[in-house]
Amino acid sequence: MSFAIRKAVPADLVAIMAIEHECFPTDAWSADSMKDELAAPHTAYFIAESADGSSSGSVVAGYAGFSKHRMSVQGDVQTIAVAPRFRGAGLGRLLMEQLLATAKIQNAESVFLEVRADNPVAQTLYQSLGFKEIDRRARYYQPDNVDALVMMLELPREIKAPIVLGIESSCDETGVGIVRGTELLANVISSSMDLHARFGGVVPEVAARAHLEALQPTLHKALAEAGLSLHDIDAVAVANGPGLAGALMVGVGAAKALAVGLDKPLYAVNHLVGHVGVDVLERGKVATPTIALLVSGGHTSLLLVRDLLDDVELLGETIDDAAGEAFDKVARVLGLKYPGGPEIDIAAATGDPKAIRFPRGLSLPKDMEKHRYDFSFSGLKTAVARWIESAHANGEQISIPDVAASFREAVVDVLVTKAVAACVDHNVPRLLLGGGVVANARLRQVAKERCDKHGIELRIPAFNLCTDNGAMIAALGAQLVMAGRAPSELSFGADSTLPVTTVQTLA
Amino acid sequence: MNRFLLAIDTTAGTSVALLAGETVLSEVHFDSGMKHAELIGSAISQVMNQANAKPTQVTAVAVGRGPALFTGLRVGIAAGIMFSEACSSGLVGVISHHAIAVQLYTENPQLLEKPLLVTTDARRGEVYWCLYGGLDSAGVPIVLRGPSVEKHAHILELLTDSYPDFNERSGGASAAWVGRLAQREILEGKHNSDVSAMYLRAPDAAEPKPNQYFAASADIAGAAK
Repeated sequence: MSFAIRKAVPADLVAIMAIEHECFPTDAWSADSMKDELAAPHTAYFIAESADGSSSGSVVAGYAGFSKHRMSVQGDVQTIAVAPRFRGAGLGRLLMEQLLATAKIQNAESVFLEVRADNPVAQTLYQSLGFKEIDRRARYYQPDNVDALVMMLELPREIKAPIVLGIESSCDETGVGIVRGTELLANVISSSMDLHARFGGVVPEVAARAHLEALQPTLHKALAEAGLSLHDIDAVAVANGPGLAGALMVGVGAAKALAVGLDKPLYAVNHLVGHVGVDVLERGKVATPTIALLVSGGHTSLLLVRDLLDDVELLGETIDDAAGEAFDKVARVLGLKYPGGPEIDIAAATGDPKAIRFPRGLSLPKDMEKHRYDFSFSGLKTAVARWIESAHANGEQISIPDVAASFREAVVDVLVTKAVAACVDHNVPRLLLGGGVVANARLRQVAKERCDKHGIELRIPAFNLCTDNGAMIAALGAQLVMAGRAPSELSFGADSTLPVTTVQTLA
Repeated sequence: MNRFLLAIDTTAGTSVALLAGETVLSEVHFDSGMKHAELIGSAISQVMNQANAKPTQVTAVAVGRGPALFTGLRVGIAAGIMFSEACSSGLVGVISHHAIAVQLYTENPQLLEKPLLVTTDARRGEVYWCLYGGLDSAGVPIVLRGPSVEKHAHILELLTDSYPDFNERSGGASAAWVGRLAQREILEGKHNSDVSAMYLRAPDAAEPKPNQYFAASADIAGAAK
């Protein structure tokens, strides 16, 4: 036997009432009650027709009704009946599955039903669908004097993973990323690095101009990569700080207009916390608590993250140059190209990291009292310059590989020592690295060695998620959406010194 | 189906207007030359809501390209680009001084008698300027010189031989007039989709001095030997 299920119409009343009387001889609903039920705005009734019927076409084999009021999250199975001659063919299950599908579409969180205590066949069906007995109503069915079992099914709340577009423009990378929940759909980065090369460092005005020019092509590439149109986007996220003010403002202005134009919520998120939140794209969530060491050309920050959205604490940061900046400046001193990190890495490959003992900033006992988790690289840069000056004055042969390796060792040593100390001090067994300097091979190596030694789990996201990117902004935005957080008001601004404690700027 | 044009100009204040033809349906104008990033979102939102307009009804977005102080200018252009993306609308770049000129000529027809020098503050003792010779038959200003950025005294020197007598007005652009000018240009088929910022100044950045001890851009492989 095969059955077709369709929505009930008023004309089905006669056929329904025939089955109603057949199935419930002692307590059938009246035709008037049934008519009202079929017509009620909060109910959905379905008819099962048997296709292999008489020559006159199909016959009604059964029916079932579901009820849920619009503002309620609870639904009810109103009734279900299968004509005796169609029983044993799985029609009851078919009708129940239709009601549960309706419940899901209407976003019901639970479905209730009553069943006669003397109907074990029906009870078994409901149990197999996941219903559990939660109550018993004595002598509910009259005149038969039979108890009713109240059963309930909790529907898994299917939180639709939001598609979020993230815009990043805090420094020299224009990033547009698209995620669906924790799934990465696109991550397009347009860097203005080459434009800064002749200046030996990021020039804020050059970066801001490049953002404006890169905005549209980067957006188009991201949408193409994700295979989406802007109308598929559920929310927009933007990094509103910390970073270069003029650069951030390009992203903020763009994101606001996009959100208003699409009529979608907008989330202003913290760039640095984005570097931590990006881990959701690889592991589904950020394991907490974790220490995060964020090292780039603009930042050197040590964070204690107890909760990604609600509890991020800045333990320390650089008091002068960022680590990436130090690499750039020392590269210049050594006559190497910009950006300095990769160049120094290459030069250092054949050098002796112990050739020259360069100072470890803020590592003396007195500094460790006041600046336990802070960094300083300005003195190191000067020390390298002085060392070269002096070697030059003394007519010594200067080994660039040795200087590069020794300098790199000093930077890496301080970064990892302080990060591991933060883990140990706070009894946090995890360290997450982020920022462009994570590309540095020696940093990854030393971090791995020391973390292994202390039983600390080391997390290093894929490199294109470590550098500044829009996907991390989208990912953090999606976390806020999924946590049910309110969107940001349209009035927020770019904040070049936004503290990490402000994960989302509300207004 | 309504065909609206949304105009944005952040060369002076934060200015947004919605137009049908040259009729301004709604307009939000903040005079402050600051806080463009803070104001732009709600300005667009308010303009749309006041006119009860939907983004799908916007068929063109016009943005003032400057010349102007960079930071604020970029906010308006970035917003214009993205709003047009959201609406799948056309995008039109308008030189903001031209919009000021149209407004001045329309409100003070006697200015049409002589060339008109329009200036806006460029800081550092300089002004962004453009010299106009009236409106053409479509109502689009005729550019005689500029736009450029100079010290005021220097402009007078530059112009004195060719244009010994002209009117001068300083002003700030409004989105309403950026929108009206864009509509005239669209009608004439003379509109320009280039919305790049008109900076007229190079970024302030000095290239570092040559390295004292090592040749610049040393060959790493060589250095490593």
